[in-house]
Amino acid sequence: MIEANIHTVTFWTVLLASMPPLAAFAAILIFFRGRPKVSAGLSIGAIGLSLLAAAFLLMRYWNMTAPLSHTGQWVCSGDLSISVGFLLDPLNMLMLAVVSTISFLVQVYSLGYMHGDPGFSRYYAYMSLFAWAMICLVLSPTLVQLYIFWELVGLSSYLLIGFWHEKFSASQAGKKAFVMTRLGDVFFLMGILLLLTHIGSPDILLLDKGTPVAGLTPMVAAVGAMLIFGGIIGKSAQFPLMTWLPDAMEGPTPVSALLHSATMVAAGVFLLARLFPFFSQSPSAMMLCLSVGTVSMLMAGTSAIVSRDIKQVLAYSTISQLGFMIMGLAAGGYEAGVFHLTTHAGFKALLFLCAGVLIHRHHTNDIFEIGAKNGRGLSPTIAALFIGGGALSGIWPFSGFFSKEMIMAELAALHNPIWLLAGLAGAFLTAYYTFRMIFIVAFSSASPGATEADHTPLRSVMVGVLGILSAITLVLGFFQDGLRDFLIGGRLAVGTANHGHSPVLLMTALGISVSGVLLAWFEFGRRAAPKTGFVERFPALADFFAQRWYLDRFYRRFIDVVIYRGISFYCTQNDNKIIDGGVHRLAQAAVGVGRRAANWHEALIQARLWVMVGVVLVLLAFFVYQVAI
Amino acid sequence: MTPYAVCFYLLAVVIIMTTVMAIACRNMVHTILYLVASFVGTAMMFYLLGAPLPAALEVIIYAGGIMVLFLFIVMMLKIADEKRSGQRAGRFALAGMFGSIAYLSACVLLHLLPGDAGVAMKAAFAEPARYGAFVFHRHWLSIEVISLLLLVVLIGALLLGIGDRLNRRNGKEES
Amino acid sequence: MIVPYYHVLLFAGILFGLGVICTLTRRNLIMILLGLEIMLNAGALAFIASGLDAGQIEGQAVVIFVLAVAAAEVSLGLALITTIYRQTGTTDPRCIESDTCELE
Repeated sequence: MIEANIHTVTFWTVLLASMPPLAAFAAILIFFRGRPKVSAGLSIGAIGLSLLAAAFLLMRYWNMTAPLSHTGQWVCSGDLSISVGFLLDPLNMLMLAVVSTISFLVQVYSLGYMHGDPGFSRYYAYMSLFAWAMICLVLSPTLVQLYIFWELVGLSSYLLIGFWHEKFSASQAGKKAFVMTRLGDVFFLMGILLLLTHIGSPDILLLDKGTPVAGLTPMVAAVGAMLIFGGIIGKSAQFPLMTWLPDAMEGPTPVSALLHSATMVAAGVFLLARLFPFFSQSPSAMMLCLSVGTVSMLMAGTSAIVSRDIKQVLAYSTISQLGFMIMGLAAGGYEAGVFHLTTHAGFKALLFLCAGVLIHRHHTNDIFEIGAKNGRGLSPTIAALFIGGGALSGIWPFSGFFSKEMIMAELAALHNPIWLLAGLAGAFLTAYYTFRMIFIVAFSSASPGATEADHTPLRSVMVGVLGILSAITLVLGFFQDGLRDFLIGGRLAVGTANHGHSPVLLMTALGISVSGVLLAWFEFGRRAAPKTGFVERFPALADFFAQRWYLDRFYRRFIDVVIYRGISFYCTQNDNKIIDGGVHRLAQAAVGVGRRAANWHEALIQARLWVMVGVVLVLLAFFVYQVAI
Repeated sequence: MTPYAVCFYLLAVVIIMTTVMAIACRNMVHTILYLVASFVGTAMMFYLLGAPLPAALEVIIYAGGIMVLFLFIVMMLKIADEKRSGQRAGRFALAGMFGSIAYLSACVLLHLLPGDAGVAMKAAFAEPARYGAFVFHRHWLSIEVISLLLLVVLIGALLLGIGDRLNRRNGKEES
Repeated sequence: MIVPYYHVLLFAGILFGLGVICTLTRRNLIMILLGLEIMLNAGALAFIASGLDAGQIEGQAVVIFVLAVAAAEVSLGLALITTIYRQTGTTDPRCIESDTCELE
């Protein structure tokens, strides 16, 4: 571990990067709740400061070779020592830059989107809280600190999903997201505690040394890694716990763009990348990650091809892409996964913000209705949508193409070809559902009377943000090599093999993506298109996909049968009948015995007389007996 | 059977009859009147058994004093008549059973005890003057104790009555 | 010659038993007290008979104490009953301290 020796400039910069959003959050909630403009200004200013600080750090440490950490003792108890502070390495700084950039852009965009909302100040307060928690999460040097901000991020996610809490479905969705991610977090916490008891320190750098950690048997390391992966499953909405994310689309669209696609759900993948050397030491844990990522990717992809809600399509694609990143990381492609994380943050935020503009303009989430109202026109928004969709589908020259190719290369390097096939199937599905959505939205024939609904003030701000993000999406792919060098620079210890791009694979992947796009064009895009997907020829299958593989229903049934009717029922019974009932009955028995006993000494003179007479009778009988003998 | 014996049995029947009536009667005043008759009969039996002074005392104290006292109390308290209930009959039956068992065993005991139980007693007569002299000569200490007891009872009864009134007055002042 | 001694004793026993029955069965403090009086009376009768049987005046002497005790007991008992009645409004022995009065 490398201790301190950090210039005070760095220290203050990190402080400047992390603390302003917290100050903005507190200030808005305490002083400026009734003043929307001041709140928005504060919040955007704070995140702007963070962005500047992040950019400064990135430039200053572009050629960094060893991670910097600055920590102070927090808890010291016996063998256990937990510290707080910050850690700077390429991954952290990259993620910091991504988070602050997307946060900044989304907050600016929200000026238009949330304009006139009664909870405008509250919205910006929550956004600041989220930004602070996310930035601190990214900078955490220990798992314990990371866990604290992990939970804070979950909290702000809950608050923002349920932002329109008057809406019943929104508050329900917030609750569902909170509970399901909590379920994963329990595993995460258990994993942290397991590692703490064995190592005595939750230090990330200690875990990431790349060699087996002292005091940690391979078995324990594998179990710990799997438990931590449980937290990742919850946060990144992977296979068993994925159903909260589509429901989380009840929140405002910028929130979906920021939290539920670009940054917060990516925290799970970030954690996997953060602990990549640790995970890569236990092959069984990596195999688990790989399978979970694959299953999530395919499940979400199939659900997306039948969804009619524009945000839900994007939510499924988020799950699918996160699964894809986890696949890439689990296959050993550290920089591939991280690079896809970065590009994904950009183009997914772009897609969501485009969707936000469309929803804002047409007041509906349904892609067919949006298409009908939008007509066959090309506007800046639709152009941005095409750019984002192209990136998502992995079409040259958009950023997604480069990162997807890297992951594909990693998958191809695995012994078992099934992973590569699954990856290609996922790519096909992705291209198909993305362009299905885009073609429906953009190339539907306009229904009569459907014109531009209303002209929102600050529309230009929203479109401007879309432009910036489109530019990023277009350009980012060409920084691939520079980013990779930057990422690898800080972790000399990691022996990641660099698999070169084989032209065959490149062509295959691109061809598959393009064929997905073409199928979508054939079914939805051209003028005489039937507007029905190939899946809808099989209603049972379509229904199966639309119901998210009956995962929610399974949970409902599981909760009803096992939890309510099983565990909780018997616990209640036990509580009512045995514990309470026992105490009651004991008390009743005591009271009863007391009453009976009291009757004997109470004023029942006659009872006593009866006893006396009885005793006299017995005595008499005794005398008779004596005399008679 | 001598006239004495006839008198005894007649008196015994009368006493038992009146006592039974007294016990079974539901009206309290009637009960007391029956008991007065019973006590008067007992006093006559005392006389028959050669105890004129106790007989006179019986009439004066029991029939005259105690029963009148009871009568006063009954009339003062306005006690409601006991309600007729099945349990009452059950209690009577149980008590009767107890009583008869005790009585039979007592009879057996008397038969079995040594002594000439079957011989009739000779009539005798204790003159009141001799009786009084005997009591005061022989049992002077017991007389003193009894008088002390009566004094205590007098004070106690007085205290109960006054204390009750005092309590009530205090209660009023407090409230 | 009057009657055999044990005839008198048997008669006194009957009287005593009637007193016991009265004490045990009547739900009324006054009746309980009356039952006691009957029992004391039976006892006094037995004393007088025994005195006659033994030809001694001793038996009669005890009767005067019995009478005195009976008088004392009755006056004190009745005073107590009136006090209780004023405080509780009843002379049913079950109702005075216990709360089971209304059950019957």
